[in-house]
Amino acid sequence: MEVPDISFAKKPEKIIIDTDPALLLDLRFSMPALQLAIFNVSEIYVGLLFDIYADDSMAILMAFQSPDVEILGLTTIFGNVTTDDATRNALLLCEIAGRPDVPVAEGSSEPLKVKRVGKTTYFCSDVLMGSLSSPKSEKSDLSSEVLCITNLALAVKRDSSFASKVKRVVILGGAFFALGNVTPAAEANIYGDPEAADIVFTSGANIDVVGINITTQVQLTDTHLDELRRSEGKHAQLICDMCKFYRDWHVKSDGVYGIFLHDPVSFALLVRPDLFTFKKGVVRVETQGICVGHTLMDQGLKTWNSSNPWSDYSPVSVAWTVNVEQVLCFVKENLMSLIVSVFIEQQY
Amino acid sequence: MAERKKIIIDTDPGVDDAMAIFLALQSPEVEVIGLTTIYGNVYTTLATRNALHLVILKKLFDIPVAEGSHVTITKGTKLRIADFVHGTDGLGNQNFPPPKGKAIEQSAVDFLIEQTSLYPGKVTVVALGPLTNIALAIQADPAFIKNVGQILLLGGAFSVNGNVNPAAEANIFGDPDAADIVFTSGADILAIGINITHQVILTDADRDKLAESSGKFAQYLCKILDVYFSYHHDAYSTKGVYLHDPTTILAAVDPSLITYVEGVVRVQTVGITRALTLFYNKQKRFGEVTEWSDKPTVKVAVTVDAPAVVKLVMDRLMNS
Repeated sequence: MEVPDISFAKKPEKIIIDTDPALLLDLRFSMPALQLAIFNVSEIYVGLLFDIYADDSMAILMAFQSPDVEILGLTTIFGNVTTDDATRNALLLCEIAGRPDVPVAEGSSEPLKVKRVGKTTYFCSDVLMGSLSSPKSEKSDLSSEVLCITNLALAVKRDSSFASKVKRVVILGGAFFALGNVTPAAEANIYGDPEAADIVFTSGANIDVVGINITTQVQLTDTHLDELRRSEGKHAQLICDMCKFYRDWHVKSDGVYGIFLHDPVSFALLVRPDLFTFKKGVVRVETQGICVGHTLMDQGLKTWNSSNPWSDYSPVSVAWTVNVEQVLCFVKENLMSLIVSVFIEQQY
Repeated sequence: MAERKKIIIDTDPGVDDAMAIFLALQSPEVEVIGLTTIYGNVYTTLATRNALHLVILKKLFDIPVAEGSHVTITKGTKLRIADFVHGTDGLGNQNFPPPKGKAIEQSAVDFLIEQTSLYPGKVTVVALGPLTNIALAIQADPAFIKNVGQILLLGGAFSVNGNVNPAAEANIFGDPDAADIVFTSGADILAIGINITHQVILTDADRDKLAESSGKFAQYLCKILDVYFSYHHDAYSTKGVYLHDPTTILAAVDPSLITYVEGVVRVQTVGITRALTLFYNKQKRFGEVTEWSDKPTVKVAVTVDAPAVVKLVMDRLMNS
């Protein structure tokens, strides 16, 4: 077990969030952020929260709020939505968070294997590398949270020193010795671009990866929601109603009476790695066949008598256990203040 | 006493195969009606020779040995042979004299098809090596999957690393295409993976007990176990050996030693994770049709009473 050194006294981590926010997608209308702020929240909150929960928007808003991180920029990627929409939504998120100054760079619109490379493809990796080489930013002082992994792979391919310059890469993705969520073999973020994922995992960068084997352990259950409902605070009832909507969706899809907290957990991994334990091992991603997108880690339990596709690569840190209660506390606290500050204070 | 369960052992002896065959021959619960051979721990020719050597050792000249496939189901000839685990002769480098018996004329596949149709629903095939013979029988005779009682197979690594490489277990790695045919055939299949057999360890102390006993097979096995023990010591840093094949045989002798769950197993046949066994228990629903949808389910062992297995191994070998 390995517990990364974490000191809250030190200055905020500089982070770039690579993201595919699906904010407002299901509302089927595009709305300038200013309008959003004055729009009657009670009419749209369900859809809004649904999407915020359903992808990484919530983690982004948490990051904006957190004193532990300083967001250098958002880079966008396809995934939940097209890259175009992700860019628009990312801009929107910055404005919702009251941080329109944060740069948003558009990333790749396609996975690596697809040869059609548009003009915008490299914008995102430009930002990733620009941050690393700019005099303002100290070397090796940059973490990157990657949700769909193509941009990072492009950066690795373009600049051989990228892997050593980036301080830490936090990846939400994969299913380690557990069932996937797109197919029995594969988790969605990795399935989106397995070639890119394999490049990143074998790049030698300092990588922390948290798979759905961990994130699905952290659920806001019906009991938690009831607790929240009974809790003090004028907005508790509203929050519970919002959560209820997403919870009902999970009952249908997974038979789970609660809410999975995939992205908030990856945010917790970014700022509170002490709430997790890790195992080190080489991770490879299958790019062919029925198990395409499968993440497979060599746990190092055996001395192999001949070389294999895992030999000679640098190990990464795979989240192995999670302190469920503590992460839930972390998420609940952040969730409460997030909803209050973003959705309610702006409204009134 | 209940009717003895008829079993055919498909085997690639192999040190732990030898132990498994002895256990089967020593167990009144089962009746070994034949051995079929396959490559794996050794090449098929040597597997046949060793199988003959083992049945004659027990003075059971009437147990037929049928030779199986020399190549994979896709006619692959680049076989991975685990002589570094079992010795170049497969039996701990003892260089036993050639056996006097001969394999029957019938091929393993024909023997499997004939015997299962003679006793429909009554024959358990215990597969201890790559699944080429079984897959060939499935392809050759559509009735085979109905006629065979159960296919009890040692293979796969379910939610754990493999033993050939991080993705693959040796028996499945031997012929992944055949394994996928068997797992999706619709036959009654119980798979015992290394996630189970790695829990069943014969320790150095157990071996000493075997050596001190007067059991004939215990004595024999102690001679051939050296190579197997030193391999485990080097590869896994364990003081003991995994009882892969004996555990599988004893699951036929006493099914209560293991528990299982049911679901669909597919085998990856290409790429870096070739031979990965992926189990899907149908608990989670996927948005789209996957390669696991609409396939027949199999049983996959999830727990084993390891102390009971080791005790049974010791008892049956020491009283031989």
